[in-house]
Amino acid sequence: MGSRVSREIGHDEYDPWGTLSLIVVYFVALTLMWLFTYFVEFVGNTPTVMGMIVPVMLG
Amino acid sequence: MRIHQYEKLWIVGAMILIVGFIVTITYGSVGLGITMIGDEEETIAPDELNDDEQFGEPRVEQVGENEYAAYVVAQTFIFQPDPIEIPANNEITFHVTSRDVIHGFYVPGTNINAMAIPGQVAELTVEFDEPGEHGLICHEYCGSGHHTMEGLIVVQPEDEFDLTELSAETPDTVTSGEQVQLNATVENGQLEPLETTVDAEIGDQTFQQNITVDGNSTQDVTFTAESTQLGVGEHDWTVTVDDYEETGSVEVVSNETAAAEGGEES
Repeated sequence: MGSRVSREIGHDEYDPWGTLSLIVVYFVALTLMWLFTYFVEFVGNTPTVMGMIVPVMLG
Repeated sequence: MRIHQYEKLWIVGAMILIVGFIVTITYGSVGLGITMIGDEEETIAPDELNDDEQFGEPRVEQVGENEYAAYVVAQTFIFQPDPIEIPANNEITFHVTSRDVIHGFYVPGTNINAMAIPGQVAELTVEFDEPGEHGLICHEYCGSGHHTMEGLIVVQPEDEFDLTELSAETPDTVTSGEQVQLNATVENGQLEPLETTVDAEIGDQTFQQNITVDGNSTQDVTFTAESTQLGVGEHDWTVTVDDYEETGSVEVVSNETAAAEGGEES
């Protein structure tokens, strides 16, 4: 009975598009959250402590 | 080893994310100049703050063109100086230390956030773009009055900011017939010379003098009024330099009164 419903597929035939779309959504969420926390919440929270890196590089 | 096409896709995606994080942090520190407060700054004995050249008199001073240093002492339960007056659009380097226990140095709504540790000097450079007032609070529990420990940072427009200080004095009493001398001292804490006008008023007499005070120096101005013209009695005086005003009063006493009191003048 099991042999009737089971089917063997090749490596490239395997197509987990649901997993792929979940990971894409996860990556997009990560990117947006990163941009928000860094550029809006951190850099946008001026004034920010500025340092010596730029003068050192210029000098 | 055969790797599935989708798997390759998200391995590459994860790599791009990691590289992206590193690129943004690098851009922040190199491009925007954002830095962290280090621990390589000088140390200072907390019980010798009063003898220190900088922290003995907590203040704001100009250290270069568009560069100011603010020396701040935190102690239970105040910040000195208070308020801290600084110009907008200039680099301000705060040097913060504590006289007693650990305090915090935090300007809410900004990334200005440091600890004030006895024995250590926290050094942080910031630039305020807009004039305005910012609260300053202690955010490290420091004792029973911690919740009341606050300061004020007043960011003044660049063209209105100065480090001018005015003081003035006259004798309390002057015998009629003698001169009333009003001594005013104008201090210029900035590096640029200060060209200004000193206006003075003694009773109903007015005086005016243009002065130039060199950078980081003081200048004395003396105004003299004839007490006979003022007449016997109490006279108010006022000295005005830019927005600064000093007031007081001088009493002109008649010769007889002065003689009766032993002709004393202070």
